[in-house]
Amino acid sequence: MAIAREIAKNKYLYLLAVPGLLFLLVFAYVPMAGHLIAFKKYRLSDGLWGSKWVGFDNFKFFFMSSDWYTVTFNTIFLNGLFIVCGLGIALILAIFLNEIASRLYKKIAQSFIFMPYFISWLVVSMMVFAFLNTTDGILNRTLAANGLEPRNWYLMPGIWPAVLTIVYVWKFAGYYSIIFLAAIAGISGEYYESARIDGATRFQQIVHITIPLIRNVLIVLALLGVGRIFYGDFGMIYGIVGDTAPLYPTTDVIDTYSYRALRQLGDFSKSSAVILYQSVMGLVTIVIFNAVAKKIDPDSSLF
Amino acid sequence: MRMGKSVATMAAASLVLAALAGCSSKSNDSGGSSPGASGTGNASPSATAPASDSGSGSAKLDPVTLKIVLPGDRPADMDAVIKEAEKRMADTINVKLDVVFVPWSDLAQKTQVMLASGEDVDLIFDAPWLHIQQMISAGYFEPLEDLLAKYGQDAVKVRSQQMFDANKFQGKIYALPMGNTHLAGRTYLVRKDLREKYGLPPIRTYDELIQFAYKVKENEKDVIPLLAYGQGSSTDVSWGAFRAFMEYDPQILRSDALGQSLVLYYKNNDGKVYNLFDEMEPRVWSWIQDARKLYTDGLIHPDILALKDIDSVIQSGKVAVAVHNEFGVPSSMAAAIAANAPGAELEPVTFVKMEKGANITNFQQANFLAIPKVSKHKERAMMFLNWTAQKDNYDLLAYGIEGKNFEKIGDDQYKQLDANYPPFGYAWVWNPTLDRLNAGFDEETIAHYKFNKDASNLTPSVLTGFSFDPTPVMNEITLYNTTADKYYNALFDGVVDPDSTWAKFKKEAEGNAKKIQIELQRQIDEFLANK
Repeated sequence: MAIAREIAKNKYLYLLAVPGLLFLLVFAYVPMAGHLIAFKKYRLSDGLWGSKWVGFDNFKFFFMSSDWYTVTFNTIFLNGLFIVCGLGIALILAIFLNEIASRLYKKIAQSFIFMPYFISWLVVSMMVFAFLNTTDGILNRTLAANGLEPRNWYLMPGIWPAVLTIVYVWKFAGYYSIIFLAAIAGISGEYYESARIDGATRFQQIVHITIPLIRNVLIVLALLGVGRIFYGDFGMIYGIVGDTAPLYPTTDVIDTYSYRALRQLGDFSKSSAVILYQSVMGLVTIVIFNAVAKKIDPDSSLF
Repeated sequence: MRMGKSVATMAAASLVLAALAGCSSKSNDSGGSSPGASGTGNASPSATAPASDSGSGSAKLDPVTLKIVLPGDRPADMDAVIKEAEKRMADTINVKLDVVFVPWSDLAQKTQVMLASGEDVDLIFDAPWLHIQQMISAGYFEPLEDLLAKYGQDAVKVRSQQMFDANKFQGKIYALPMGNTHLAGRTYLVRKDLREKYGLPPIRTYDELIQFAYKVKENEKDVIPLLAYGQGSSTDVSWGAFRAFMEYDPQILRSDALGQSLVLYYKNNDGKVYNLFDEMEPRVWSWIQDARKLYTDGLIHPDILALKDIDSVIQSGKVAVAVHNEFGVPSSMAAAIAANAPGAELEPVTFVKMEKGANITNFQQANFLAIPKVSKHKERAMMFLNWTAQKDNYDLLAYGIEGKNFEKIGDDQYKQLDANYPPFGYAWVWNPTLDRLNAGFDEETIAHYKFNKDASNLTPSVLTGFSFDPTPVMNEITLYNTTADKYYNALFDGVVDPDSTWAKFKKEAEGNAKKIQIELQRQIDEFLANK
């Protein structure tokens, strides 16, 4: 009854939410039924209900190999780096941009930082190759010009988490910094005014006013990132690393691993099994991290 | 991120489709048992059969649009060719063509999704090197025996019985083999201008090829001597493994179970499966070591494992020798390299023997065209295939418009006139009877093609007609592939130390390879016993 009254009272607000809710229903809730495929030997010709139940058979290929913990580790490690560096640098960028006094310069700088967000991964991958390839890569040429030994970067898995993180930050920092900027813009100017009267330096204002007041946004963005920590950014990693085998030890994530394993088999059930694994682990981590966030700051948890 | 979401959406889509398929499968079944009932509308079998005889006064059929999925990029003059083809077909089989091209790089994934999601496709390209066995065992393709008998007499006539016998899958014809020869060509593309610059004679042996490469290394700073493939499943064209196609006594042939991998192999035509993990074949080991030496000496491209687009590297004119999966230099590549690097010219060098009986083959073709189960126009699709098996129609689809795109030279050769319709007959029309050779090829290449068109020039493998059913060892194959992805190309391209890497590869893959070997041998023994 209370719900009906609530809906009747705010019917126009709820009407506004309908498209979003429908989207969620169609693209987030209905596909959940697809997880059933993970426990079946799915064949199109037999249909979903006609296919045979096979229990946990489809999970075997993933967990039977010694690679599953390497790729799981890589997924978490790379995403961890992306979340920490991506958000950290975006936050710093947003604060710097906010401190710029000239409106024109601020707009131009913001646009430039935002631009990489629109470049497709394919183009980014070509740029990375142009930068790092052995024969005429920009980096090796620079090294050679300075009398240093050129290196074969595509054979050095150790540097690639760093390469990917740099690329990620370059591409996404501008995007996140806009979110932070919006949050900063919402801070009342009175705080700063009174701080200035009390003789606070600009740096002190940032540390004691700006950062604490946008902490909520930071935590929410971090939680959203953590929720997807088991999903490797397939477009990015496959685009940049592709099938370059020597780099697998540090860059192969769950998505790229299962893509390679299954691309020739055309096996829906096994892909679904991997997705189910990612989803369950993602759910577990987000529940844990949300609980942690709640402990630290009850207002900023997601649920 | 994107992958996860798209697969989830796909899963959702297929879920919905699966439900729909549940409702519609019945009508499909009845279509199969009484041809002409589904899709072709009022066309009764008796009325359609004469249509295959080049339409001599047959009843006109309702127009039907066939959706055809082919690999590659859409040629500039595709629409003109389709228009001409539709005009020719209007009075007989009355088929309209919706030809969809899928770029090579997305081919495996896209065609698989199309099939798995039940997209309405009437003819689709597939191949053993792509995923035809898996698609067949997943039940996506229609067996063609009945359709061929009813509507495909001409399509049968232009291919030898041997070709059909050797290209059955699980005992049935699931796809029409597309081939103009019985042995796939393999060639080293060599920079002729550089060879002549150093006054070297035409290359006849592998050693001479390597001598040439060292010459290039010494004298040309900006040219990389050797290039092969290093990514993903293109394992047959890694530097070391490519040599298997050109060395004899015994000839080492890939098994039917692991794609292009040499880890399981046949030799001596004895119906046995050999396993490199059990006992290293000295010849194969020497290929790996040779590749290692070439790589450490700086002859093989240092980024060979990171290169995605090999053709463009060759065409840039910065490579002296590259491996190539066909006889001869393709016209498009010859034109591109001449444009990019003035003075550069490629010549084909092959050590594949042109000697009666020297090459063992199972006559399995590399390209196929299949009719998906979900197609509503299976009869028309077959009629169309039959239509392409007539000389004039074949010429149109394979080479374009006469006088504009190509020029006939005699009965069996052609000359390409412009680049607006690069021949891609292998994808949808190829057969040994009607195919024309590129008159732009050198004499030796033409000789190779002609020689291998005649099946009697080749030694038939005892396994001709055998096809491996991967279902019992699916998990092992998946796992083997992921391990091989890590090590195989790196080994055969000489990028890593052979001894330690082989040891690691063996440790991780041995168990799976053994299980696959045992299953393959079991199926082979069964096949040979029933022969």
